[in-house]
Amino acid sequence: MKKIACLVIVAFAFGMMFSTSAFSARETIIKIGINAPMTGDIPKVGEGSKYAAMLWLEDIEKAGGLEVGGKKYKVELVIEDNESKAESAVKANTKMISQDDVLAIVGPQSSKQAIPAGEVANKYKTVMISPWSTNPSTTLDRPYVFRGCFLDPFQGPVVANFITDEFGFTKAAVLYDVASDYPKGLAEVFKEAWEKKHGPGSIVAYQSFTTKDTDFSSQLTQIVKSGAQVLFTPQYYNEIPLIVRQAKDLGWKGPIVGSDSWGSAELVDLCGEACYGLFFSTHYAAAGAKGATKAFIDRYNTAYGYVPDDVAALTWDALLLVQQAIQDAGKITGKIETDRTAVRDSLAKIKNFAGITGNMTFTEEGDPIKCAVIVKINDKGEFEFYKSSCP
Amino acid sequence: MEIARKFINMFSNVPILGWLLGIFTAVLIEYYWGYDYISYYLGLPKIPVLFGALIMLKEPIMIPGAIGYDLIVYVIPILLVAKASNFLTNPVAAILEKTPLWMSSIIHLVCFYGVLHLWAGINDYRVLIVKLTLISIILTISINVINGYQGEFSCSHPGFMAIGAYISSIITLYFFVNDKTFGAAVLSPALGPWLFPFALIAGGIAASLGSLLVAIPSFRTRGDYLAIISLAFMFIVKSAVENLNVIGGARGMGGQPDYAPLPVIFIWTMLCIWIIHNFVTSIMGKALNAVRDDEAASESMTVKTRKTKMTAFTFGAFWAGIAGGLFAHVLAYINPGMFSINRLAEILAMVYFGGLNSIIGSIVGAVSINVLGEALRPLELFKWIIIPLILIFVMIFRPYGLISFKEINAKRLLRSKHKREQGV
Repeated sequence: MKKIACLVIVAFAFGMMFSTSAFSARETIIKIGINAPMTGDIPKVGEGSKYAAMLWLEDIEKAGGLEVGGKKYKVELVIEDNESKAESAVKANTKMISQDDVLAIVGPQSSKQAIPAGEVANKYKTVMISPWSTNPSTTLDRPYVFRGCFLDPFQGPVVANFITDEFGFTKAAVLYDVASDYPKGLAEVFKEAWEKKHGPGSIVAYQSFTTKDTDFSSQLTQIVKSGAQVLFTPQYYNEIPLIVRQAKDLGWKGPIVGSDSWGSAELVDLCGEACYGLFFSTHYAAAGAKGATKAFIDRYNTAYGYVPDDVAALTWDALLLVQQAIQDAGKITGKIETDRTAVRDSLAKIKNFAGITGNMTFTEEGDPIKCAVIVKINDKGEFEFYKSSCP
Repeated sequence: MEIARKFINMFSNVPILGWLLGIFTAVLIEYYWGYDYISYYLGLPKIPVLFGALIMLKEPIMIPGAIGYDLIVYVIPILLVAKASNFLTNPVAAILEKTPLWMSSIIHLVCFYGVLHLWAGINDYRVLIVKLTLISIILTISINVINGYQGEFSCSHPGFMAIGAYISSIITLYFFVNDKTFGAAVLSPALGPWLFPFALIAGGIAASLGSLLVAIPSFRTRGDYLAIISLAFMFIVKSAVENLNVIGGARGMGGQPDYAPLPVIFIWTMLCIWIIHNFVTSIMGKALNAVRDDEAASESMTVKTRKTKMTAFTFGAFWAGIAGGLFAHVLAYINPGMFSINRLAEILAMVYFGGLNSIIGSIVGAVSINVLGEALRPLELFKWIIIPLILIFVMIFRPYGLISFKEINAKRLLRSKHKREQGV
């Protein structure tokens, strides 16, 4: 028995010595972490982030690596699944920072994961850019955390102004998920902005439901009865088709307006013609895009077979921001702590970055100043640019 | 099988202390040579964090390297040292055997903690996993009191956890932190870590008061009905917190101070194991089992069934509250969505996987579900196929869980293992 054991060990040791990976020197690799919801409630968001990141990596590999201070470095992506859960996002960030030695992290996308994950990134002094999180607390008092999109307090008034200017309505209804922080926050901001414009009581119905509800008929009946002219519902793409169809069945005639969480490639597939002609505010419009934005959309479409949603575009921008920040930092020392701080400093200094979702300059909090776009779902089911609104 | 039996027999005279010494050596090897030499020569980018599970699943080319690392760092040193140090560890264990059991247990636990701390300290990711696993152990044992020992099917554990998490967070944020919602710190922040246990206990007490809300109207019901009532309670807590904007509502509550480092959580977990073990082996614990097996019969045998059930319920809820408080301070952020049906499924999976009516089973369940969940992370979607499959197989082949109806026998576990004493 001992002989067998010895033989196995010796054979194993020899096998190791001649395998290709043994004794390979450790080279300095630039690692970028992607913290995305690959499974859970919103897998399409995770998929979009992953695909955008893979396209970016393809570009870098084509160029033979990322050139920093005259030297080319190999780049690797570390893609972690946060299961759309807060504690998993924290675990994923901790793993990427302490185990994989990532230089910067892109993600998580939703605020409920980005807030706790941002705490971790800031604690370990690692740059984190959340492309899609619109909650102010994600970046608040955290010098190492940035974001790639506008905030809720900006988006609410944009939508309120758009409805007023476009339709001239004075009575609005709101339907939102009370259990999810993003819809709830945006609903509050919208209500405030609307009432400021049209006086108290101009929100004639303020109805809520809970995550994973699928029957909205009682809330929608109230809304239809209230005499509202427009319905604002800042929900995620998986709930919109249900809301829109049920509203139409109950006799709702007015427009339904939404926010950036509508902007997923899946929305029109799920909703069909019921959603044609509706408006929502978002980060970019795919149909009728020009220049670099169009180039990105076409590439993504040929590679993966559908038009990228705003998450993919924002992730792309976030990755380019990281790339620019690394290049601006001037050199990679190989000491990960020093490099992370250098990247953070150069990221904060970036001015007028020309992204595919608009130009960006970071404020001191790490929030970009950028424009919002109002998109119309046209008769072909495409997201068409309608109007843009800048701060 | 003959060889395997012989192999196991070879180590039958190694006491727990010997194993601890072996693990200690392995950790020392990893600590000093793991990164610079061993993982370097094996072509690994870094010390594999969970015995190489993550790297093996991500890059299959690393499998031989990771296995080699495990062999060189863990398996061989542990076996060698454990066996070779017999002459030393057995007499020491014999000496400890003569001391009172509590002293011997504490000495063992301190040694165990030292090894765990060193092992986890190599990487912060390990620390986080160990912390969350220890918290899961508290949760699992506490629900085992209700679902295992008492034989009910309670679904309100996430609710109790939420109450504990919120109450203890409110206390620490109000007293020790300059917070936006609660204003400036009332007491000096330096006192925080020392008074943190009181915040946790307050959270636990609040959770057990909450459990009375379930227990009082439902003590006549059993089985499905209690499951429905307790499930409703969980949703009530969640909805209540969502609609309380003072404590953040659905946006959650963040900024809890870092009062829960590894030693604190370890001490609480050990306290929990000890207290619950004493509880379930006491007369009350036997009464619980009697109520579970036949309520009418136990009533006629002078067991106060109502009091027994209420006590078990509030007691389990108390520990769930403690676990919630620790959880909140580890993540430094909580929102009501965390304490929902997903969490319930996780807790129930841990307790039914590990084994009903058994503390050691709960520990096994909590550790294995946590470690599996983390180790299979690179598989993304397939992880959610593999873990449920394992659960289904456990339910088919061992309907009461892996290790059910077994108690820890600390004296037997810790005793010295001289051949002479074994009668060889």
